[in-house]
Amino acid sequence: MSTIRRFRAMDLLHFNNVNLDRYTETYDSQFYLSYMSNWPDLFTVAESPAQKLMGYSMGKVEGTGELWHGHVTALTVAPECRRLGLARGLMRGLEDASEKIHDCYFVDLFVRPSNTVAIQMYEHLGYILYRRVIDYYQGDGVMPTEYAHDMRKALPRDKHKKSIVPVKHAVNVEDTFF
Amino acid sequence: MEGRQLRPIYDALELPDTKYAEEECEKLLRKHPNHYGAQSIKAFILARSGRPNEALLLGQSVLNTPSAMASAHVQQGLSLAFRALGRPREEIMVYTAALSFSPNDESLHTKVFKTAARNSMFKEQHHAAIQLSKLSKQQKYVWWLVVSLFLQAKHSKDDVSAPVQLKLAERLVEKAVTDGQLTSTEELRVYLDVLDIQDKHEQMAEVMADNGQLAAMISNDPDLVTQRINLFIKIGAYDKAIMAAIAALESRDNWADYKLYIEAVVTLVGQAADAEAKHSLVAGISSNFEKWAGVRGKARGAKLAQVALATRMHEAGHGDIVGSPEALIWDYLTEFQQKAICYSDIMQFIVARREPSVLEYHQAQLEQRLPAARDSATNSDDAAQAWVNLEKIRYLLQALMGETDPKAWMAGIEPLLKFGLGSSQARKKQPSCSDMAFIASQRIIQAAFLAYSAADQREQLHSALFKALCVLESGIQLNDNSFLLKLYAIRLYLYLSCYERAQTIYDTLRIKHVQLDTLGHLIIGHGMALGCFALDMELCYNGVTFYDRFQSKMPRDIEAVYQQGTYSNVQDFLEFQSNIVHSVQRECTHRYALRGEGYEYGNAKETLARWEEADVSSIEHSEQTLSALHDNRDVSVMGLLTPKDMAQWDLELLTQSTPIPGHDFIRAFSLVPQVMHYLVCADIESLQEKLSELTLVVDNTNDTLSRQDVLFVRGIIDVGSLYIQASDPQNEIDDQLSRLLSVIRTNLPSNELDPSLFSLSSDGIRNLSAAAELFTYMLALKHALSAQRLPAANAVGLALSQLRKEALKSVNTLRGWVDKNTRALVEEQWLAENDDDIFADVKRFVVGSQKQTTSMVTKACTTSWLRSVKNLLSQWEKCSS
Repeated sequence: MSTIRRFRAMDLLHFNNVNLDRYTETYDSQFYLSYMSNWPDLFTVAESPAQKLMGYSMGKVEGTGELWHGHVTALTVAPECRRLGLARGLMRGLEDASEKIHDCYFVDLFVRPSNTVAIQMYEHLGYILYRRVIDYYQGDGVMPTEYAHDMRKALPRDKHKKSIVPVKHAVNVEDTFF
Repeated sequence: MEGRQLRPIYDALELPDTKYAEEECEKLLRKHPNHYGAQSIKAFILARSGRPNEALLLGQSVLNTPSAMASAHVQQGLSLAFRALGRPREEIMVYTAALSFSPNDESLHTKVFKTAARNSMFKEQHHAAIQLSKLSKQQKYVWWLVVSLFLQAKHSKDDVSAPVQLKLAERLVEKAVTDGQLTSTEELRVYLDVLDIQDKHEQMAEVMADNGQLAAMISNDPDLVTQRINLFIKIGAYDKAIMAAIAALESRDNWADYKLYIEAVVTLVGQAADAEAKHSLVAGISSNFEKWAGVRGKARGAKLAQVALATRMHEAGHGDIVGSPEALIWDYLTEFQQKAICYSDIMQFIVARREPSVLEYHQAQLEQRLPAARDSATNSDDAAQAWVNLEKIRYLLQALMGETDPKAWMAGIEPLLKFGLGSSQARKKQPSCSDMAFIASQRIIQAAFLAYSAADQREQLHSALFKALCVLESGIQLNDNSFLLKLYAIRLYLYLSCYERAQTIYDTLRIKHVQLDTLGHLIIGHGMALGCFALDMELCYNGVTFYDRFQSKMPRDIEAVYQQGTYSNVQDFLEFQSNIVHSVQRECTHRYALRGEGYEYGNAKETLARWEEADVSSIEHSEQTLSALHDNRDVSVMGLLTPKDMAQWDLELLTQSTPIPGHDFIRAFSLVPQVMHYLVCADIESLQEKLSELTLVVDNTNDTLSRQDVLFVRGIIDVGSLYIQASDPQNEIDDQLSRLLSVIRTNLPSNELDPSLFSLSSDGIRNLSAAAELFTYMLALKHALSAQRLPAANAVGLALSQLRKEALKSVNTLRGWVDKNTRALVEEQWLAENDDDIFADVKRFVVGSQKQTTSMVTKACTTSWLRSVKNLLSQWEKCSS
C-alpha cells in the first residue's frame, strides 16, 4: 500500500533512499525531466504513508509500425520496500499505460544478468529473454561491465506475438536503437 | 555576404575553439569595425570566456543600434550573448527590436515567449502568448496563453489585475471545452488549476463530475481521482467524498485515498447530531476497512487505515467511539512484522501519542513478544525481519521514554551483533542482518554520546565510536549494498579525522548529478579541513560542473514542457530550477572550490593575479539573498529510528564532526576572497568595510562554524588588519604579526610533547590544516606588501620563513609519530581490556569474531591520518616565501 502518483521534478531531491541502491543508476537531471515532459503518464512514483519515496518506474514509447512499444527505462524499489509487490504494481501501471493510452504492440526492458531477483520477477510477469545485448552496461569501478538481457512482453495489439520471437545471437548496442 | 564573412568564426565555435573564434572576430572587425554580426558574436565569445563586463558593454552597444537588429546573425549572436550573461530582459529586447522589422514573425514571438517562460517573467510571457494566439490559430497557443495568465496571476501582487487575468483564462478554457479542444489530462489539469486558484471548488466538482470525455480522462489519471475526492472535502460534500473514496478504493489500494476517506468521516462524526449517527458512520468505514483487509493485496493498506482512523478519531476527541489505536498498532505489527517497511509504516502512529500510559502499554506488548521473536529469528527470513522490527520499536520506545542511561541502550547488544554480523544468515547477506547490524551500531553510537557527553570525556567517546565503526565496517564487508551502514561509517570516520577511508566509502555510493546537491554535504569540504584539499577540490569541481550544466540546460527543459504540452510540469520545473540554482549546497560548494584555489600554492605573481582577477562582486551576499536559499540537503536518508524533534537522540545531528555549513559559512567564505581581493588591489576603504562585515559574522556565529573555520576567519581578519596597518609607513606591525604567527604556532604539533591518539583524532589534524591554510594566505599578504611596502614585506617574509622551518620540523616529527605509533595506540587504547567499560561486550565481539575487520578499520584509520599529515607536510614544503 502506497500513494501512487506521477513523478515530480521535486522528487529528485528526495529519492536517495531509492537511488543509493547499487543496481539503481542516477542519471543527469535533464534525463528525468525529459521523461516528465515527454511521457508524464509513464513516470510514476510510489510514496509511503510516512511520505518517503518507495520506488518509481520510468518509461517511454518509441518505434514505428509493429515496433511501436513501451520501454521500461528504470524500475526501482527502495531496499526496505521490497517484497511488497510494489515493483509488480508499478510494472502493471506502465504496461496499462502502454496498452491503453499509447496502444503499443509490446513492452521491453533491459536488465543486468547479475540482477537475478529482478529477472525472476520479470519472468513471473510474463517477460521473456528476447535477446542479449553485448556490453550494454559499462563498468564504473563499482558495477562491472556486463551484457544486458533485453526482455519483452507482448501486449494484446500484437495478436500473433511476433514481437517476442527470441533472437538467438547476441546483438550490439546500436542494434537496439529504434 | 555577412554569412560568408562570419563562417570561419562559426566554424571555430563549433570545434569549439573559442580563442581562434575570437581571433577571427578581431580580424573581421579590423577590416569592418561596424560589422554588427561580428560584434554580436564577439559579445557571446566574451561572455563565454568569463569576461562578463566586456561582453555586456559590447552587447548593449549593438542593442542600442536599431538598424543592426534586422540581421539574423546579430539576433542570434546577441541573444546567445545575453543568455550566457543571464540577462533575459536584454535577450527579449533583441527579439523585440527584431520584431520591428518583421512584426508577424511567429518564431520571434515564440522566442520571446520561451525566454520569458524559462526566466519566470510571467508578464512578458503573457504578452508574447497574446501575440502568438493572434497570429496563429494553433490551439497550443491558447493553452500557452492560459498557462501564462494563470502564472502571472498566481505570482502577481496586484489584487486588481489578477482576478481579471484568471477570469480571462477561465473563459478561454471554457471556449476550448465547448469547441472540443480540451483533449488531454494536461489541459484538464490546467483548467482545474485555474478554477482552484479562484476557489471555485464547486465549479471544479462540476467539471470533474462530467460524464463525457473528461470523466474518462479522470479515471485514467490516478492523481485526478484523488484530487476529486479532496475537492468534495473542500466544498463540504463529505458524503460525496466518502462515495468517491470508496469507489476509488474498491479498485485500487492508494494511501492518499484512505487518508481522505478518514478525513471525511471524522469531519462528519464531528458534525453528527447524536451518538447513533456517529457510531453508524464509524461502523460504515470500519466495515469497509474490514472488507478490504480480506482482499489479497489490500490487507496492509486497510489494516494501517484502521490504525490511522483510530488515531485520528482520538485526536479529534472521539476516541470513545473507536477502539484503542495502540491495540490496533500491535494487531498490525503481528500481521505485518515480517515486512521491512512495517516499522516505517507504524512509527508515525506510535510517535503520535506519547503519554506515559500509552508508552507503558507499548512497552508491555513489546516485552511479551521480543524474547520469542529473538529465539525464532534463525528460523526464516520472515522471523528475522519480525525481530528487527521489534528491535526498532524497542529503540524508539527508549527514546520516547527519554532514556539517558547508556547502559540501558547497550542492554542486549550481544544478540544483535551475533545475528547481524556473526550468523549464517549474515554470511548469506540476508537484508535483515544488515538491518540488525545497523540497529546495533545506532545503539552503540547513542550510548557513546550519552555516556561521554562532557568535554573532558571525548577521549572515551572516540574509543566507543571506533568500536561502532568496526561494527559498521563488519556489516559493510558482509553486505556491500547497505548504504545506511556506509553513511554512518563515513560520518564516524570523519568524526575521527580519517578522511581517506571516508572518501573511499563515499565513492562506492556513486553519488552524482542531482545527488551532489542533496548528499554532497557528506564529504565536500571535509578534505580541506583534514589536509586532503586536492581530493576535495576534485569533488568540488564535480559539484560546480553539475550546477553549471544544470543552469545552462534547465531552461531548455522548461521550454520543452510548452512544446510537448505537458503543462502540469511548469510550476514543478520552475520550483525545481529555483531550488537548485538557489541552493545552500551550491553556494557552499562554490565557496569550498574558491577556498581550495586560495589554498593552492602559487608563486608571487600567480597568487597576486589570482586574487586580483577574482570576480568578487558575484559572491556578495545580503540577508535577502541568503534567505532566498533552499536547503535541499537530504538528511532523511540517514534512516533515523527516532522522530526528528528529539535532538538528544538524533544520531544524524550527533555524528556531525563539524556543523553542516549554513548561512554563516556562506557569508564568511564569501567575504574571505573579497578581503583578499581588496587587499591585493590596495583598496583600503573596501578592505576595511569587508573586514568589519567579516568580524560581525564571526562574532555572531553561535557555533554554526567549526572551531577551525572560526580560527581561520579570525586569522584572515588579522591578515587584513595587518595589511592596513602596514600601508602607513609610520605604523608598526610587530604586534599584529606576532599575534598571527602565534595563532599558527599554537596550532602546529608540539615538538616537546608526544602527540596523543585523542588529539590526532579530534582537533590535531584539523588545527594543523587551518594553520597551513592561514600560512598560505599570509604568503599572499607578503606578496601584496612587496609591491607596496617593502620593509613590511621583508619583516613578514622573514617571520614566515622562520615559521615554515618550525612547521616543517614539527609536522615531519608528527608524520614519523603517526607512522610508528598510531596503530599500536589504537589497539592499546581504543580496544583496551576494561571490564567496567559499558562497551566491553562490543569490544569482545569486534576483537573476537570480527578480528579481521577490526584490524582493517585500525589500518584504515592510521593510513588516513598518515595521508592527511603527509599532505600537510607537502603543503608546508611547497609554501616557500
